[in-house]
Amino acid sequence: MMLEISKLKKIYGNKTVVNIEELQINAGETIGLVGNNGAGKTTLFRMLLDLIRPNTGQILSKGENVAKQDKWKDYTASYLDEGFLIDYLTAEEYFTFIGGLHNFSPAHVMDYLTQYTEFFNDEILNKGKYIRDFSKGNQNKIGIAAALMQNPELLILDEPFANLDPTTQIRLKSLVKNLKQEHKMTTLISSHDLNHVTDVCDRIVLLEKGLVIKDFLTDENTLKELEEYFSE
Amino acid sequence: MLITFLNHQWKAFWRSKNKGGSIAAQIFIGFILLYLLTVAVLIGLGLEVLIEKSFPGKDVLAVFNGFILYYFAIEMIMRLQLQDLPTLSIIPYLHLKIPKQTIVNFLNVRALFSAFNILPLFIFIPFCVTAIADVYSLFTAIMYIVSIVSLTIFNNYTALYVKRLSISNLKVVPIMLALIFTLGLLEYFKVFSIAAISNNVFNVISSHPLAALGFSLIALIMFLVNSRYLRMNLYTEELSRNEEKKNSTDYPILGRFGEVGNLVALELKLILRHKRTRSSIIMCVIFVFYGFLFYKKDFLKNDNFAAMLFAAVFMTGSLISIYGQFMFGWQAAHFDGLLVNKVDFRKFIKAKFLLFTIMSSFTTLIISLYGFISWKILAVQFAAYLYNIGIGTVIVLYFATRNYRAIDLTKAATFNFQGVGASQWVLGLPYFLLPYVIFMPFYFAGLPYWGLIALGTLGATALLTREFWVTFLLNQFNKRKYNIAEGFRE
Repeated sequence: MMLEISKLKKIYGNKTVVNIEELQINAGETIGLVGNNGAGKTTLFRMLLDLIRPNTGQILSKGENVAKQDKWKDYTASYLDEGFLIDYLTAEEYFTFIGGLHNFSPAHVMDYLTQYTEFFNDEILNKGKYIRDFSKGNQNKIGIAAALMQNPELLILDEPFANLDPTTQIRLKSLVKNLKQEHKMTTLISSHDLNHVTDVCDRIVLLEKGLVIKDFLTDENTLKELEEYFSE
Repeated sequence: MLITFLNHQWKAFWRSKNKGGSIAAQIFIGFILLYLLTVAVLIGLGLEVLIEKSFPGKDVLAVFNGFILYYFAIEMIMRLQLQDLPTLSIIPYLHLKIPKQTIVNFLNVRALFSAFNILPLFIFIPFCVTAIADVYSLFTAIMYIVSIVSLTIFNNYTALYVKRLSISNLKVVPIMLALIFTLGLLEYFKVFSIAAISNNVFNVISSHPLAALGFSLIALIMFLVNSRYLRMNLYTEELSRNEEKKNSTDYPILGRFGEVGNLVALELKLILRHKRTRSSIIMCVIFVFYGFLFYKKDFLKNDNFAAMLFAAVFMTGSLISIYGQFMFGWQAAHFDGLLVNKVDFRKFIKAKFLLFTIMSSFTTLIISLYGFISWKILAVQFAAYLYNIGIGTVIVLYFATRNYRAIDLTKAATFNFQGVGASQWVLGLPYFLLPYVIFMPFYFAGLPYWGLIALGTLGATALLTREFWVTFLLNQFNKRKYNIAEGFRE
C-alpha cells in the first residue's frame, strides 16, 4: 500500500473543500484525478505533500503520517505549479540543486538528463536563460523532468499536460507508461484532458466538491462514461 | 479616467491580502507625517522670530533667502531615499482602449500626492505672506510662493526621474551619491556655499520678481522629461529584457559546507540575480559611512562608547538586519518547492546562520578601516560583531519564523513597503536594545571596557551554543510552517 487516506477534511471558512472518508492507493497504480475547477484536486495534492494542514484525518504514506515525519520525501517527487521552481536559477543549476538533495553529483545529473533530450526538444538545456525567462510550457517541462529525475516511487503531477505542446504531451504519456512498467512507479495525475488520463491511467478517481464521486478501473468505455458525466 | 484609476488604486489598497500589515505601516507613517506637518506649520508661523533668535544681528531676510535652496538640496536627498514611486500596476490597463498619455498623466498626478510636496508649502508660505509682503510688495510675495511651488515640483519630478533611471540602471545610484557627496564636501570646505548662492538668487527675485518664472520653467522642463521617459518606457520596463546570456555558476568554497553550503549558494544567487535584493545590499554598503557620524573625537577620548555602540551594531549587522528582516519572504515564490523537496530544514536554518556570518564578517572587515582612527573603535566593533553573529542572528531568525509576508522580487523599488508587517517594526527593538541592556550597567558603573567584554562574551557564548539555537529555531519553524507557506502562496 502506497497511500492511505482516511477521514480527510479541509475546510476554508464554512466551505468544505476536501472531504474524503477513505481512499487507498496501491503501489504501482497510475491514478487519474478528474473533476471540475474547485473539486479539490490541488488541495488534496497539497495535503499529500504536507503543504497544508488538514482539519481532520490523516494521510499515511507507506504506513507513516506525512505530517509527522519527512521519510516520504525520499521516494516522493512532485510538480504542482511554478511555485516549485526556483526561477532565478538556470535550468542546469536547478537540476543540479535538486539532484544534490538526493546526493547526485552534477556530472551524474547532466548524464541522466541526456535521456530527456527528446522530451526537452532542445529548448531547455544550454539556453543561457533563467527559469523565469522560459515560457510556461518549458517551465512545466523543467518541473516535470526535475521530478522524474529523483527516480521516485511516488510521482504527483498537477495538470501536467496543460501548456505543453502536443508532441510533448504524447512524449510525457509514454514516459509515465514506461516508468510504471520498468520501475513500478505509483503515479497520481490530475488533468482536465479526459483523453490523456484515460489513456495513461489504470484507475480514475472522480472528485466533485471535495467528495469522491466515482472510483473505478479504466476500460474501453471509460472515456465515454466520463464524457457523459461531464456533459450532464 | 484619472478618477477611475485613483478609485482602483484605493480599492487595491483596501482589498490587498496583506491589508492588516500595510494599514499598520500606513498608520505609522501617517503619524510621522502628521507630526512633521505640525512641526512644519509651527516653524512656518514662527520663522521670523526663530531666525532673529538663532542668528542675532543678522538680516532676517538674508538668512531666509539663504535657507531656501539649502532646504531643497537636503529635501532632494531625503526624497531620493524615502519617496515612493507611484505603483499602480499599469499592466492591466496597457492593452485596453486607454491612450498611453492618460496612463502617464495618472502616474504624474499620483506622484503629487506626497508629503514632501506639502511640507515646504507649510514652512515657507506663512513667512512669504507676512514678512516678504511687508518688506517688499504683495506681488513679490506671490512670486516667492511661485518659486517655492516650482522648486517643490522640480524636486518631485527630478527625484522620481532619478529613481526610475536607477531601477533600469543601477549605476545611477553611485553616480548620484558621488555627486551629492562632492557637493557636500565642497560646501564643507567652503569652496562654495549653497546659502550664499541661494541668497543671491533670491535677492534677484526680490528685485525682479518675474525672474521666479525661471524656476517654473525648469520645473516644467523636468515634468516634461519625466513624462517623456515614462511614455517611452511604458513598454520597455515591463516587456523588453536584455538578451545577455546567463551563465550557471557555482561557488566551490561553499561546496565544502555540503548541503548547508549549497543552500547558502542558492540564496547568494537569489541576492545577486534580483534588483531588489541587490539594491538592499548596496544600501547596506552605504551605511558603512555611519562611523563618521558617530565616532566622535571626544567620545573616544572619554571612552564614551554608548553612542558608538549603536553605530557599531548597526554597521556590523546592517546586512543581517536589512536583508534578514524580510526572511523567509525572499524565498516566498519557491517556498512550496523547498518544502516538498528533500531539504533538511535543520540545514536550512544552519544555512541562514552561515549566510549571516559571512555577511557580517564581510562588513566588519570593511569597517575595520576605522581602526586607523583609534584602536578603541576596533574593540567596540569587535564586540558588536560577536553580538551580531551570536545573538543578533538568532533574534532576526526568530522573527523570520513569524513572518508570513511574501516579497515580490520582481518589484524593484527601494523603500517599497511591500512585505513590511508588524514583525519588522517589532524586530528592531530587541535587536538594537539588547546590546544596551548588556552594556549599560557596566557603563554606568564606570567600566565601559568590561561592558564591551560582557557583550562580546555573550555573543561568543551564543555562537558556541549554536546547535541549541538551531534546534530552538527549527521548532519555532515547524510550529508555523503551514502558516508561512500559506502566507507566501497568496
